[in-house]
Amino acid sequence: MKISGSYVVPIPAERAYELLQDPVVLAKCMPGTDHLAKIGEDEYEMKMKLIIASISGLFAGKVRLADQNRPQSFKLIVDGSGKIGFMKGEGLLNLAAQSDSSTEVKYDGEVQVGGTIAAVGQRLLDATSKLIIRKFFEKFSAMARDAAPSSVA
Amino acid sequence: MIAQNFEYSAPANLKQALDLISDGNAKVLAGGMSLIPLMKLRFASPEQLVDIGRLAELNYIRQDNGSIRIGATTTHNQIETSPLLRSKCPLLAEAAAHIGDVQVRNMGTIGGSTAHADPAADYPASLQALEAKLKLLSSKGERTIPVADFFVDTFTTALEPGEIIAEVIVPVEDNGMGTSYEKVVHPASGFAIVGVAARLKKQGGKVVVARVGVTGLSNRSYRAANVEKALEGSGASQTDIRNAAALVAEAADANSDLSASPEYRAHLARVHTARALATALSRAS
Repeated sequence: MKISGSYVVPIPAERAYELLQDPVVLAKCMPGTDHLAKIGEDEYEMKMKLIIASISGLFAGKVRLADQNRPQSFKLIVDGSGKIGFMKGEGLLNLAAQSDSSTEVKYDGEVQVGGTIAAVGQRLLDATSKLIIRKFFEKFSAMARDAAPSSVA
Repeated sequence: MIAQNFEYSAPANLKQALDLISDGNAKVLAGGMSLIPLMKLRFASPEQLVDIGRLAELNYIRQDNGSIRIGATTTHNQIETSPLLRSKCPLLAEAAAHIGDVQVRNMGTIGGSTAHADPAADYPASLQALEAKLKLLSSKGERTIPVADFFVDTFTTALEPGEIIAEVIVPVEDNGMGTSYEKVVHPASGFAIVGVAARLKKQGGKVVVARVGVTGLSNRSYRAANVEKALEGSGASQTDIRNAAALVAEAADANSDLSASPEYRAHLARVHTARALATALSRAS
């Protein structure tokens, strides 16, 4: 399944790049994440409980960052599994400054989903993954706006 | 598979039901046509179920001045076959006839389907086109909101914890209103790959009311306001309809799955909007 889209976040590109690689920030913004720990250079282990209305599932997996081209782009490699299925994929995130205080984050990737969720939920994978990405960026934007710029940069 | 253990209660009346769900932890069960399959696949594992499916006080279809009020546990079959709806709000009865199969229509309820908010369910297209309202109840009180504000996102609604849909309110159609629901069926699930509901009224050779509701195309159902605007005031010629229908997918981020790519889905939406409008027009008098 291909996943692509873009979202405008209200912070400069440098800082967006910084925040998108901060495990504390990611853990807070990714819906349902309750554990995210560094296990190597640019590599993290995570556990999340995804809840979308009636549907919920526990997932455990790894996230790796690669091809860092600061502050324009990096690659995100995800590998996770849970009782209701597994997912594996990678995506490229492109950051483009729109102004001094806003950045467009473009994402473009390919994800493979398998197991029960793919067998019976194929019809809903696209809408659901878009929902998760939208929730992530909404929270990310809100957090970026609230945090004092000097605390990270 | 078998669902995980859960506590089950079947309250005797609505008040008891609202008290049982007031802490927001219980999941409400009505017909069980969406929730039970999810539980059996363990996509959902609620610890407590409150069954409102047998509450007679939520099962009714009645006219109240210019509106028709439908209780939340009214089944799709009751809606499909209701003489009142068939004569005064035929669009909803037509949509109900498209849902799933006979078994699903006998068990599934309008409140349950609406609360579940599947982005490809049949009702939402009609509910959007009808500008339906929902009466929501909790142990703290009641509120009535338009469906346009209810469907927030995929499986996401404006329902607060401890709140249920008690009633769906649709209008009694004006004389001369023509309506139609056009659907492309997903072959395996019976859901809509795309579904379009249209309402049209002409007066003095011009369209005075146009309403279009869309389901299945994107993350949630919506009213295609740009199509309506393009059509209102026009003579509803074939060209007018085609030009208006071409706008239906403009603001939508179309879904993709094995059955249809986003481009194909958007194309289907345009074609079926034109068909729904043409049929609605032929039924308008």
